[in-house]
Amino acid sequence: MKIGLEVHVALPTKTKLFCSCSTEASEPNTSICPICMGLPGAKPMLNEKALEVGASIAKALNCKTQDTTSFVRKVYFYPDLPKSFQITQTEDAIGREGYLGIDSKKVGIRRIQLEEDPAKIIREEDYTLLDFNRSGVPLVEIVTEPDISSEEELREFLTELKSILYYLGVDIEKEFKVDLNISLGRNRVEIKNITGVKNIIDAERYEVERQGKLLKAGQEIAAETRSYNEAKMSTEASREKESEEEYGFIYEPDLTTYSTKGIELAKPVFASRLAGEYAARYNVSAKTLKELVLFNKDALSMIEHAKEKHDMKSIIASVELLSKYNMLDMKKERLERLLLAVEKGVYPDKETLSKLYKGEQVEAAGDAVDNKTIDKEIREVIKKNPSILEEYKKNPKAANFIVGQITKKYKVHPRMVSERLNEILSG
Amino acid sequence: MSSIGEFEGKDIPESYYPKLVKELEPINKRLNAFLTISNPEGGFPFSVKDNICVNGVESRAGSRILKGYIPPFNATAVERMLNSGFGFLGKTNMDEFGFGSFGLNTEVPAKNPFDERYVAGGSSSGAAVATSILKYHVAISESTGGSIATPAAFCGVVGFTPTYGAVSRYGLIDYANSLDKIGVMARSAEDVRIVFDKVKGSDKYDTTCTDAKFTAKDKKKVFIIDQFTKGVDEKILSSFEKLVEKFKDMGYNVENREIRLAEKAIAAYYIIAMAESSTNLAKYTGFKYGLRNERFDEHYNEFFTKARKAFHKESKRRIVLGTMVRSASVRDRYYSKALKVRSLLLDEMNALLKEGFILSPVMPILTPKMAEAESLTPLEMYKSDMLTIPANLCGLPHISFPYAYEKGMPLGAQLITSQFNDYAIMDMVSKWEKDFEYRFKYNLGEL
Repeated sequence: MKIGLEVHVALPTKTKLFCSCSTEASEPNTSICPICMGLPGAKPMLNEKALEVGASIAKALNCKTQDTTSFVRKVYFYPDLPKSFQITQTEDAIGREGYLGIDSKKVGIRRIQLEEDPAKIIREEDYTLLDFNRSGVPLVEIVTEPDISSEEELREFLTELKSILYYLGVDIEKEFKVDLNISLGRNRVEIKNITGVKNIIDAERYEVERQGKLLKAGQEIAAETRSYNEAKMSTEASREKESEEEYGFIYEPDLTTYSTKGIELAKPVFASRLAGEYAARYNVSAKTLKELVLFNKDALSMIEHAKEKHDMKSIIASVELLSKYNMLDMKKERLERLLLAVEKGVYPDKETLSKLYKGEQVEAAGDAVDNKTIDKEIREVIKKNPSILEEYKKNPKAANFIVGQITKKYKVHPRMVSERLNEILSG
Repeated sequence: MSSIGEFEGKDIPESYYPKLVKELEPINKRLNAFLTISNPEGGFPFSVKDNICVNGVESRAGSRILKGYIPPFNATAVERMLNSGFGFLGKTNMDEFGFGSFGLNTEVPAKNPFDERYVAGGSSSGAAVATSILKYHVAISESTGGSIATPAAFCGVVGFTPTYGAVSRYGLIDYANSLDKIGVMARSAEDVRIVFDKVKGSDKYDTTCTDAKFTAKDKKKVFIIDQFTKGVDEKILSSFEKLVEKFKDMGYNVENREIRLAEKAIAAYYIIAMAESSTNLAKYTGFKYGLRNERFDEHYNEFFTKARKAFHKESKRRIVLGTMVRSASVRDRYYSKALKVRSLLLDEMNALLKEGFILSPVMPILTPKMAEAESLTPLEMYKSDMLTIPANLCGLPHISFPYAYEKGMPLGAQLITSQFNDYAIMDMVSKWEKDFEYRFKYNLGEL
């Protein structure tokens, strides 16, 4: 099985790719000008910021360095395309011949190209509306080699890619559209325009099953374009007739060749790789760490900040706690008090946490119960319930009763109590 | 002898402009130079070729398909003219989208003011006629393959096409973006210089526009190119030889040279021009501006197709050929090869232009009558551009100027120089003008 992807995401620029209209308008058709409306006489002018982000993505995905980059016209007729051609990139794209490493392999990146988004089509029952606010919004298209060979790899690739893009400032929730190419047999089937990871995986699953059945039955798989039906969770042949795509590319003569040498590249962050490293170094679960940091800059930055001075388990617990109450952007110097408390086994409640977040005076947060007090309490409970020892020998879960008694009384993490309890009981 | 200087030295009453318009209107009805006429609020009158946008004024590049398109912005060149105090007089007639050498590919062709039976030349037919009939006026015009030089020659005016990128193309309704150049027509080289100085220079709205320093390097040498005299009408050649003698008298060394690739220039030019124009014309779908199809209940394909029937035959020909030469299966044979020819031809011409100027007739044929021009096959029409295409294809500055009158009709010659040496050829024509008497049939708006 061979899977290749074309991933489209919107770039995080304030203005459009070829004009100075804002990319953040809400009222339809308010962020438009002669350029993004394709009015006769208007000419494109490149948003250099888009070039910067594009080059940074290319670098993060290990692409060969290109000294220059240029644009082409891709001609086709559709109501959402104001000039009847899209300004995009082909051979001279901002990124070429890169790869993205996942657990089991390197997935080749054939090309990374900048292009303009067409207008948005809003289909109503008996008419269609067009919103040109989206026309000219910068997109980056990432074209992979057909190197993905399982659902597992597909999922991993998408997660890793999204994480890298997230750390480069791309709003991955805004637009994440994929054309999925799958071939089990000789012929390639393309499923166009799937939005979101869940749908991509569902479409892949359906298509693999469909092609598998055809092959088993000795049938040929038609080379075709299909679309994904979200409601039915299935793919279906597109109504458009199948023909060799002919876009008649020519160089975009209104733009020049752009040097990429002076571009200041953003430093890529490979959160997944870091999570793996820390998991091994500090002996914590890689899965937990990844979940925390893949799409969370603040979480990663807290972990990096605290990892030398504090116990990783307490850091994770603190980050989880802050994440629960949306306080991950807490100032680093205030974080210190929280970490000290958590290390002592004290888990501040929401109120205390919010005081810590604001930097207000907190009475009990740092004054954690120490091990001595806990030990004393544990012994107290045992003394009151002598049978517990016998029960514990038969079933260690009986200890939960003691832990429960103590966490009722103190703001302390159950894990810490059970650790103390184990020590006492074995000692 | 600058008419701009002369005009500005005088006290112009407000009543001058309505009188000018009144004088112009009936003659324009006969000659079809202007598509729209406005009453200037003041300043030296200038006209704008119809493919250059003027805010609030219908700008349709001589095409039916853009009927009713009123741009909400000024082309940079227009903006700069207005800011320099010039007065907008109107939009001038042209071959649809600039596709033509005789001004015939339009609804109502402009006529030659020297003899109305003859063509005015194209594609900037109206600009040349306007310049030829108005005493105080300059034309903002545009050339892709010879659209300034040719009509200027047929109408006996000076036509200047600058280095590619010298004047911003923002607001120009594209023919072929890598070849389109906004230039000037006037009644003297000095007027050309004054206008060029106002409109040139970089513009953030046109990436290909340059802020280069333009020079006036006189080379003291003039080349006559074998390929630029071969196939030229005998009558033209004999008077052209007299012009060459005059340049010798003016102190230039004249040498005969060859430009081997010149013969390939027409093919390369039409391939690039058609490839680019077929993409530029794709946007005309009768949808958001211009000619509108009111039936919205059809599939978009039918809707677009219906609107696109409004193109002139020549435009349809260029769409078909242009789409063909850039299609994947033949792109390398045509489009890619044409780009190579352009770059090699530029090398060859640059080598020559380092040493001197190129002088040649503008057209290989005498001004044809309307009917004669109409009977030409497309290929014959394309071939008539053989002398104007090499400089245009390479983006080299050139200036067309009248040098003789053959049976009352003007003949035009052109000087070509190297990129950015634009002022040098204006200077040469200024020198030439000292001993040359321009003839005009009309002098509308005389003071």
